[in-house]
Amino acid sequence: MTTLTAPIAEARAAKRAALDELAGKRLLASFGISVPKSVLVQDADAAAAACGSLKPPLVLKVVSPDILHKSDAGGVKVGLEGAVEVGDAVRAMMKHPAMENARIDGFLLEEMAPAGVEVVVGGLRDPQFGPLVMVGLGGVFVEVLADVAFRICPITRLDAEEMLDELKGAALLRGARGRKPVSREAVMDVLLKVGGERGLLMTHGEDIAEADINPLIVSEHGAIAVDARFVLTQ
Amino acid sequence: MTRNVIEQFKPLFEPKSVAVVGASTKGGTLPNVFIRRIREFGYTGAIYPIHPSAESIDGLKAYRSLGDTPEPVDYAYIAIAAAQVPPLLAEARGRVRFAQVISSGFGEVDEGKELQETLAAAARAGGMRLIGPNCLGIYTPRGRVTFTETAPAESGPVGIISQSGGLGTDIIRRGLTRGLKFSGLITVGNCADISANDLLEFYLADAQTRVIGLYIETAGDGRRLFEILRGARAVKPVVILKGGRTRQGRAAAVSHTGSLAGDDRAWAALSKQTGCVMADTLDGFIDALLAFQALAPQPRRPTRRVVLFGNGGGASVLATDQFARLGLDVETFDKQTVDELARLKLPPGTSITNPVDAPVGTLQLEEGRVAEKILAAIYGSGRPDALVMHLNLSAFAGRTRTEVLDNLVQAALRVQARYPGQAHFVLVLRSDGEPALEERKRAFRARAAALGIPVYDEIANAGAALAALAFHERFIHARPRDS
Repeated sequence: MTTLTAPIAEARAAKRAALDELAGKRLLASFGISVPKSVLVQDADAAAAACGSLKPPLVLKVVSPDILHKSDAGGVKVGLEGAVEVGDAVRAMMKHPAMENARIDGFLLEEMAPAGVEVVVGGLRDPQFGPLVMVGLGGVFVEVLADVAFRICPITRLDAEEMLDELKGAALLRGARGRKPVSREAVMDVLLKVGGERGLLMTHGEDIAEADINPLIVSEHGAIAVDARFVLTQ
Repeated sequence: MTRNVIEQFKPLFEPKSVAVVGASTKGGTLPNVFIRRIREFGYTGAIYPIHPSAESIDGLKAYRSLGDTPEPVDYAYIAIAAAQVPPLLAEARGRVRFAQVISSGFGEVDEGKELQETLAAAARAGGMRLIGPNCLGIYTPRGRVTFTETAPAESGPVGIISQSGGLGTDIIRRGLTRGLKFSGLITVGNCADISANDLLEFYLADAQTRVIGLYIETAGDGRRLFEILRGARAVKPVVILKGGRTRQGRAAAVSHTGSLAGDDRAWAALSKQTGCVMADTLDGFIDALLAFQALAPQPRRPTRRVVLFGNGGGASVLATDQFARLGLDVETFDKQTVDELARLKLPPGTSITNPVDAPVGTLQLEEGRVAEKILAAIYGSGRPDALVMHLNLSAFAGRTRTEVLDNLVQAALRVQARYPGQAHFVLVLRSDGEPALEERKRAFRARAAALGIPVYDEIANAGAALAALAFHERFIHARPRDS
């Protein structure tokens, strides 16, 4: 049990208001949710050296409690193929103006997820109802159209299925416009691991004010949490 | 558990003795009115006025405190100045089971929040359960107690919990006009002790109650509401009218999830996960309750196909569109049904597919009995899940006798009886507000309601009520209780 709660306990001990990406992914992995294989490094040399243990293409992301939107701050570089590219990318990122005044905990070097449909899975502590779980399709569907479905935790498998059916963009998962259908089952599994009876939010709902898995990349065969953010309760 | 909650609340819904605090020797106060109302309503148990000095009030011997009555009190009705209530409760010495505090000036205003804490503590010290404060009372036909001037004496299947007293009165009065019959209605106000959730558990267990309606502004313990409803598995339809559903500020939200979650999202989720129906307006609330009171849910075959039958072509076209938006299909008939209707050789201008537009000239054939042949053809091969008979009384005005309308309804009931359990039957009586017509409509509605038919003012209202019923049916269909 201690290993399950470790990322939250560590963040609490460090008096942080949120989990960093690596801690968030450790938390997800402890509930059986797939996350990309990754290594946390502190500098360009360590990053280059770590390439051997990972399968390219790789993605490099800054880890900082001060940077909420990594892409906007120049803190994400994708499609890196080898040690030289990775080392250069770390050096370039460190010189980015947004990094100068930020606390940098390191750089996350991880394997890129295979292509798929981007889904957002979220969690929230509602003052009246306790933990809620959310699902939506990534990009404009969530950000512009607010095409999302909420449920009160714990959810059942049928609830998870109905959440997906409720999305206006539900057809995208079924393979709209000539694309291959992706695994609805994989999304439902993640929803249950987050919002089900023994899921993450039912276990840690007291500690988690808000959670975003964004994106969860869903392919024909599975779903992988590519980024995760957990805001802790006050 | 079920047994316990019934036993616990029985003295509230069927009090053997009632204490009334705040009545004056001169009469005219709300508690005086309450004494008169429960006597007129047929309450035969003991009534004990509580008064610091009077010998008697309204012809009843008065007592000094709640602890001084000759026998313990099941229900105390209290309407005195807020500050005087806590000392009064504290003196009860465990001899009062339920105290309903009508007085306001407690938690609903900032300066009364502390007093409400004191009140709750005093109720505990006095050994009673507390309802309110800041409410209007209870209407319980089984106990012959009512706080309203006009209330149906007959009990029925609809149990109501209202956080607002005034709205509770509206529900009883409008419900009376519409044919709603209640197992009880209790106004709970600020819920300093007994919550809407506690009473929801009672109604779920109560054999008289088949349908439950809640008006709530603050969920209090929303988590428990969710758990109670989830545990009940829609065994009884629950309709919730929620005040303050609009998005509340979540200025601090930093995640997508946080910024997307308005208060309404949780209530919508509650509905989808527990099968409770969310109503948006008081009329929609009453419309849905009326459907659940009158119509037996058919979860094996959730309502989808609706036949519209009546006069008013444009109205039925508009209704067809609205029904489609609600997930109800007003599908055209298949060839067999159309052929059977064609054989009736109805007058020109009568549509023989769905929606069945039948002008007054058609509806008054055989003094209205023609409807039996039309509906028999439709039920025989069309297999509708619901029939909406809509009559625009304006078009009948000056052309037909009242019997024609009755005959139309009787014809529908005869066909209904031949196909038991096939279709929900609802009636829409449309009018234009002209006084004589309104009077005719009122009388006709009362006759139809007495036959157990739910009657609506517009087809749109009937559609929304049927959609609520269909939602409940689909919920049970997807989550069968025997699984």
